[in-house]
Amino acid sequence: MKIKIDGNYYEGNLGETLLELAIRNNIDIPNLCHKSGLIGQGRCRLCMVEVTEGTKTKIVSSCVFPIKNGIEVSTSTENIIKIRKDIIMLLLLRTPNNEYIKSLAEEYNVVPPTRFVDVNSKENCILCGLCVKACESMGTNAISLVNRGTTKAVSTPYDDASKDCIGCGACADVCPTNNIKLVDKNNERNIWNKKFNLVPCSRCGKYYTTEQAINYVNKKLNTNEEPLCDSCKRKIIGEKFKESCQNIY
Amino acid sequence: MNDKCDNKKKILVCCGTGCIANNSIEIYNKLNERLKNSDISVEPIIKATGCNGLCEKGPVVKIMPDDISYFKVSTNDVDEIIEKTIKNDITIDRLLYFDTNKKEKIKSHRDATFYKPQHKIALRNIGEIDPLIIEDYLEQDGYKALHKALFQMSPTEVIYEVEASHLRGRGGAGFPTGLKWRTCSKYDQYPKYIVCNGDEGDPGAFMDRSIMEGDPNTVIEGMIICGYAIESHKGFLYIRDEYELARKNMEIAIESARIHGYLGTNILNSGFDFDLEIVRGGGAFVCGESSALMASIEGNIGEPRAKYIRSVEKGLWNQPTVLNNVETWANIPPIILNGSSWFKEIGVEHNTGTKVFSLVGKVKNTGLVEVPMGTKLNTLVFEIGGGIIKDRPFKAVQTGGPSGGCIPKEHLDISLDFDSLNNIGSMMGSGGVIVMDDTTCMVELARYYMEFLSEESCGKCTTCREGINTMLKILTYITEGKGEIDDIDLLIQLGETITEASLCGLGKTSPNPVITSIKYFKDEYIDHIINKKCSAGVCKNLTSYSIEESICIGCGLCKRKCPVDAIIGSKKNPHVIDIKKCIKCGSCYSVCPTGAVIIGGAII
Repeated sequence: MKIKIDGNYYEGNLGETLLELAIRNNIDIPNLCHKSGLIGQGRCRLCMVEVTEGTKTKIVSSCVFPIKNGIEVSTSTENIIKIRKDIIMLLLLRTPNNEYIKSLAEEYNVVPPTRFVDVNSKENCILCGLCVKACESMGTNAISLVNRGTTKAVSTPYDDASKDCIGCGACADVCPTNNIKLVDKNNERNIWNKKFNLVPCSRCGKYYTTEQAINYVNKKLNTNEEPLCDSCKRKIIGEKFKESCQNIY
Repeated sequence: MNDKCDNKKKILVCCGTGCIANNSIEIYNKLNERLKNSDISVEPIIKATGCNGLCEKGPVVKIMPDDISYFKVSTNDVDEIIEKTIKNDITIDRLLYFDTNKKEKIKSHRDATFYKPQHKIALRNIGEIDPLIIEDYLEQDGYKALHKALFQMSPTEVIYEVEASHLRGRGGAGFPTGLKWRTCSKYDQYPKYIVCNGDEGDPGAFMDRSIMEGDPNTVIEGMIICGYAIESHKGFLYIRDEYELARKNMEIAIESARIHGYLGTNILNSGFDFDLEIVRGGGAFVCGESSALMASIEGNIGEPRAKYIRSVEKGLWNQPTVLNNVETWANIPPIILNGSSWFKEIGVEHNTGTKVFSLVGKVKNTGLVEVPMGTKLNTLVFEIGGGIIKDRPFKAVQTGGPSGGCIPKEHLDISLDFDSLNNIGSMMGSGGVIVMDDTTCMVELARYYMEFLSEESCGKCTTCREGINTMLKILTYITEGKGEIDDIDLLIQLGETITEASLCGLGKTSPNPVITSIKYFKDEYIDHIINKKCSAGVCKNLTSYSIEESICIGCGLCKRKCPVDAIIGSKKNPHVIDIKKCIKCGSCYSVCPTGAVIIGGAII
């Protein structure tokens, strides 16, 4: 189907969201709670765009909006830019000392009303929910969004060390504001109030992941692979690729 | 039936939550006990009924067929009622309702100005029947509509009838009920589900509770009819957890409906199956939002989702679902039984039928009121409500709950319907009407609602969670005397963004109290910010009290009332307030008979 975005036509796939289509075509729509591979959430509201369908124009969050044939999209009208700036301002009021949000504010020329800024704030979580989505996708479900309103937060059940957490660190990996503290020290990992022993890479010997994570993946995939760190894994794949290429030519 | 039966007196004791809190169960028990041991020739039937609406004047006891209503009855009155009214047909004047408009005692509550303009459809049986006895409901034409639907109408005809009635959802948004049913019926995906939204959460609104407590069968009947119309066999009643009595009465009603063959398999031998299940609410205000409610039924966190795909297509467990509010369901049986043209005669164009309002705040008569759509706000406040307490000046009305808007004096002649209310920036919501007089500070009111919403926002989307919280901060600054004039523009700016960019209805409507109060009472904001004065005397930092020497008659009332002995003065001489001691409670202001106590701004 044909979708018009900012005057140009793009070919959309059935079931795709507007944001996915935009990302595929290198159209810039800012977003914080989206990550390819994880289903859209509509939390951060930064990806709001204007959609015209027939005679009706509405403002939608592109990360959850299913594309339809014949719609026209504007990604940067005056109103959309105002909404984006306001949302960044609100996030900045929540996490005034977070480097990432500060850089975003700078990029969009947002200056918060100083009277309402808590200069001593240590808050870094913008409640985008990506960590929860990542944990959910792993199948572990160790963390969740808890409470509501101003007390909403991400946590393990009762803030205790979760028996389901395997210390894989997927949550920390997807966090846009670097809020989740994953500390690797003395061959030990500390995350979500839980301690894990780290396992060395069978090639380079670097301590890189937890025993629980390896067991979990092996069990889930019904395999028994040797523990390999990311860079060794990449190296091996590269070598295999090179070999197969040599066989062809 | 013999003559003896016709002579039977019926005593109806209201056993709604309000009256129970005022001991109506004890009255009911004492009546039973006394009559058992008496030699009265007429056999009275005592019934525990649902709420009559005038909760404030409870417990309410009605005697039929004489149609006498007694208010504020206590257990001490029981013997007198039996002796005089039951045995000797003498009315006890003391217990009658005093009509503040007519300035007289009224024998039948039906003649009171509170009830006269009312037209009961959703509340038709409440206070008249015992909600726990299904025969009582059957006597009032109960389940006749279901009979008619199952045996005389096709599912399409049922949908057509509801559509033709122009009934709109009573939960707040006013979406056409028939259209919802029709859309859902078109999807060939089974199973389909039916949901009753009984998660009433607006402060001051209690019509849904009253219906579930007082006439649970009408909700059940409405849901079965919809099940038949859209080919659904399973319904859920999501009831707010705090509504214990509603849940209990609903459970009993469902059980007796099953026993009588109205629920379960092969209903009334029609071949149609349908059953209901009660789900206890999770305790969050936002679960009244349809998609959050469904998430909650599924066992997930009560967070709404974007509704680009509607619940009628993908609702509960991604199956087609029809969700209606309690009051909407209560309207279905009468529509099917009496026909859409009967229903359309009531109300105004595009806003047919009636609406139940819970009238609360600074009016003389508070309680549940069911009036035809299009009734003027004036009628509601001054006729039914009897005007403002102590005849103080009227200031505004808040409709639509915490995310509704305030309506000022100049719009008092507005017609109470979905469209007119939306046009002036307020909304129908669930029908809460809070009346305010001149002692209400509009800035503080807006702050109060923002505080409520900041706690009750589900916190999913940034604009609602952070936006409301920031508006709350700004409003708190203003009420504390730290406001700046640019704050008003910032409030408007944020209000627009929250409205446009929030995920669900709760977020989108949340700035309403602030935006409407700025629109209609901007002077009060400016007074707070520039003059550092709260003329209602509510914001303590912006209030000071003084006594006008020339008006004070030295009666000493204020001096006696003052809890901190801040008032000095001798009899018949002007009194003075010691500002250093004064805690600004306002007791002197409300007690002064001559209006000599004056509210001033902050003393800097």
